[in-house]
Order: sequence, then C-alpha cells, then structure tokens
Amino acid sequence: MGFWQRVSQLDRRWIYLAVALAVIFPLLVPMKMKLGITPEARQLYEAIETLPDSSVVMLTFDYYPSTVAETRPMSIAALHQMFRKNLKVITMTTIPLGGPSMADRTMKLMGDLYHKTYGVDYVNLGYKANYTAVLLGMGSSIESIYPSDQYGTPLANLPLMQTVKNYDQISFIFIVADNGIVDNWISIVNAQFSTPMGAGVTAVMAPKFYSYVQAKQMTGLLGGMKGAAEYEMLVNKPAMALIGMDSQSLAHLLIIGFVIAGNVAYFATRKKKESKG
Amino acid sequence: MKTKLPIAIAFLSGLAMVAVFILNPEKVGDMEGELLQWTTVIGGFTLLLGVVSIVRVNWRPVVRRETGWFNNAALLLSVAVMAIPSVLPVSWSPLFGTDGGSMYDWFFINLSAPMMATMFAMLAFYVASAAFRAFRARSAEATLLLLTATVVMLWRVPVGEGLFVAIHSKLPNLINTYVMGGVNVAVQRGIIIGAALGAAATSLRIMLGIERTYMGKT
Repeated sequence: MGFWQRVSQLDRRWIYLAVALAVIFPLLVPMKMKLGITPEARQLYEAIETLPDSSVVMLTFDYYPSTVAETRPMSIAALHQMFRKNLKVITMTTIPLGGPSMADRTMKLMGDLYHKTYGVDYVNLGYKANYTAVLLGMGSSIESIYPSDQYGTPLANLPLMQTVKNYDQISFIFIVADNGIVDNWISIVNAQFSTPMGAGVTAVMAPKFYSYVQAKQMTGLLGGMKGAAEYEMLVNKPAMALIGMDSQSLAHLLIIGFVIAGNVAYFATRKKKESKG
Repeated sequence: MKTKLPIAIAFLSGLAMVAVFILNPEKVGDMEGELLQWTTVIGGFTLLLGVVSIVRVNWRPVVRRETGWFNNAALLLSVAVMAIPSVLPVSWSPLFGTDGGSMYDWFFINLSAPMMATMFAMLAFYVASAAFRAFRARSAEATLLLLTATVVMLWRVPVGEGLFVAIHSKLPNLINTYVMGGVNVAVQRGIIIGAALGAAATSLRIMLGIERTYMGKT
C-alpha cells in the first residue's frame, strides 16, 4: 500500500486527536495573534457609542447554551459598552430553555460590576411564548405582552419601565442570537417600527445577514467568535472570545490541511488506479 | 365541522391581522393588541401540549419494556425533574421557580448547558473528518466552492488574516467586500426573497384552507 493510499484511509480517530490538540493547545499556551476589525463590527460599536447618555437599549439573549462560546462573549462585551455609557438596558429572550437563566446570570454579573440597580438601570423581561406575537405586540405595548418581569414584579413597579411603553422609547436593539429569530426582528420590528438594530450571530449564520447590513436594515453585525473578539477589542475588554481565536486559528488551519491532504491523496490514488486499469 | 371550524378561525384571524396592518389603527382600536395577547396565551398552552405529547410518546415504551425503554424513562425523568419544580411557586421554597439557586437553574447550568455545548462542540470533530473524506475538487463548481471556503476560513481567523495582510494590506478588506458583501449577498438575497415569497404563499394557503397539515390532514 502506497503512502497516499495510507493517507486516504487514515483512521478518523487520528483526525479527532489532531482537532482536540489544535483546540486545547492554544488555550494552554496563548499565541496572542493580531486581529483586524471588520467594518460591520465597527458600525455596530459606533451605533451604540453615539447614543446619548441614559438612552434605553434592548439586548436580547436569543441563544441556546450550545452556542455560548460564540454568543455569550458578545452579550458581555455589549454590556460593558452599554453600562459604561450609562445606557438603560432592557433584556428579554425568545428561547425557553436556558434563555432566562443565561440572561439572569449575565445581567446580574455585569450589573454588579458596574454598580447598576435593577429596575432603574436594567430590567430583565424574561421569556414569553410565541415570538412573532411577542415582537409584534411589544410595538404597541410592552406591558400587554410582559405584564411582569422575569421575577414576577409588575412592570408598573419598575421605574425604568414607567417611561418605556413600546419600541418608540427604545433607541437601539442589540440582538444576540443563534437561530432564525433575527429575521423576525428585522421583518417585524425594524420594518414595521423602524427601530434601529444590530446583531451578533453565530459564524454559520453570519453570511445571511450581510444583505440586511447592506440594505441598512441592520446597523452592523458580529459573526461568530471572531465577531465577539472584535467587539471585545472595540470595548477594550479582552476576554474569552479573544482567547478562543487562537484555538479557532489552529482548528481552521488544520481543517484546511485535511482538505488539501484529502484531495492530494484522492487524486494520487485515482491516477494510480487509472494507470493500472 | 371539525375541519370547517379551524379553517374559519384561521381565515378570520389571518384576515383580521391583514386588516389591522393595512387600516389606520384608530379605526380598528386595540384589536391587534387583543389578538396578539390571545396568540401569546395560546403559545403558552402549546408548551403544555408539548409536555403532554412527549409524555404520551415515551410512556408507552416504558410500560411495555420495549427495546431501549430506559432511554424513554431517562427522558421522562428529565422532563419531570426540570419541569415540575420550575412551575411550583417560589413562595413555597427557594428551590422552586427558575431563578438563580432554584433546582431548575442548578440542573440547567450543571447538566443541560454542558451537555448541549458538548453536542455542539463535537461538530468540530465531524466537520474535520468529513472535510478530509468528502470535500473533493471533483468538478469546476466543487473546486470553486472549495477555494472560496478555504479563503473565507482563513480570512475569519487571525493567522489567515495575517497571511493575507502579508500578501497585500488590503486583501482582507477586499475579501469582506467582494466575497462576503458581493457574491455571498447576491446569493443570500435570492434565498431570502424566495423564502419570503414561499412564506407568503403558505400563509395564503392556510388562510384559504388549502394547506391543512396543521390539523394533521393532507
């Protein structure tokens, strides 16, 4: 058996081992590679940066725990910027499994860090079923959809919500999502209520939303862990996404290497078979 | 009657939402708000229906001791452990409800979240293995796809970006503009417009009673 034939029949366990090493090694020995910032990430950052102090923004936690490596750093970086700018933050989720828990933990963590008061500086609306109706309904009255917040407190008792009745009082919506809900935010909320918005999404979803950014239906976009790392750099709070970029670099290189090796082995063995035949 | 009534409700509800969208809100009052509240309430009931359905589907194999019944039993146990304490009032015990420190929260953070993340992370291994075995430059189209994928994969990571900058400082921006913002957007727009037209057609079919699969009928 020739070399390329042996390569083409490589046991997949060797591939798994190589991937594991490519992911783990940079976490133990960070390489701190330089990272560029895409115009889409910068636009999103600028859109929030130019909001007047005390503006009300909405940050959504529309993601499952499976994608937290990509999405949670986006939420945290966004909250660094929002709380540092003294913006008032309303959060909600359209994900029943884990959405409320992740929003609750992240908001408490960041709220404590910036000494923010619940109900005054930020509010967690939690989850409500049937996202189409929720997004549309909040356009006329948030209270009609969410009579109470995540903890059962009536919205009327929360100082922040006394001034926020619907999307008219919300200056910007920052969607962090790992699913098709972003389309609904755009087609329902941006199209019908003209609320400016931007999104942080997983890497596999990002290509779709470039068209919305070009059409100015979205003010900026973060794609995957790279997008999260860019935002961490923009807010000057390097954290998990930037650390993860080293692992992603090696993993991508490895996959490209496997694709090349697989193709070379395929063509080399095919040529041999043809010459024999 | 069992067919006509749901079709009539679907038709009238759809028509009402279309009317609200087109007409001046002052003329239709708060009909939209009322309808949307109804929808969220019905949405809540569908969650309950989901729980009933999952219990019914998994209960039978457990009772009959069918092959792999313990998997069904584990699922039922998981549903019970996560769902029951989460709907009980917090006033009874801080372990109930979904807030931090509750049983639901503990199970979610320590079991559900790591398991979901693990399942998703395993994709990296399968993708690498599949890329090695199946991603072949067999035709011109496949070669083009392979080259584009390689360029985008490199561009999305610092090491590749550094490589492109070494070739030409504007290369990463050119990839962003012409690959992601050019070719990609052209294709994505076609897909989005096609999907939107499909959704509009399906909505119309449901309203007119042509599409009845939501009632369990073809």
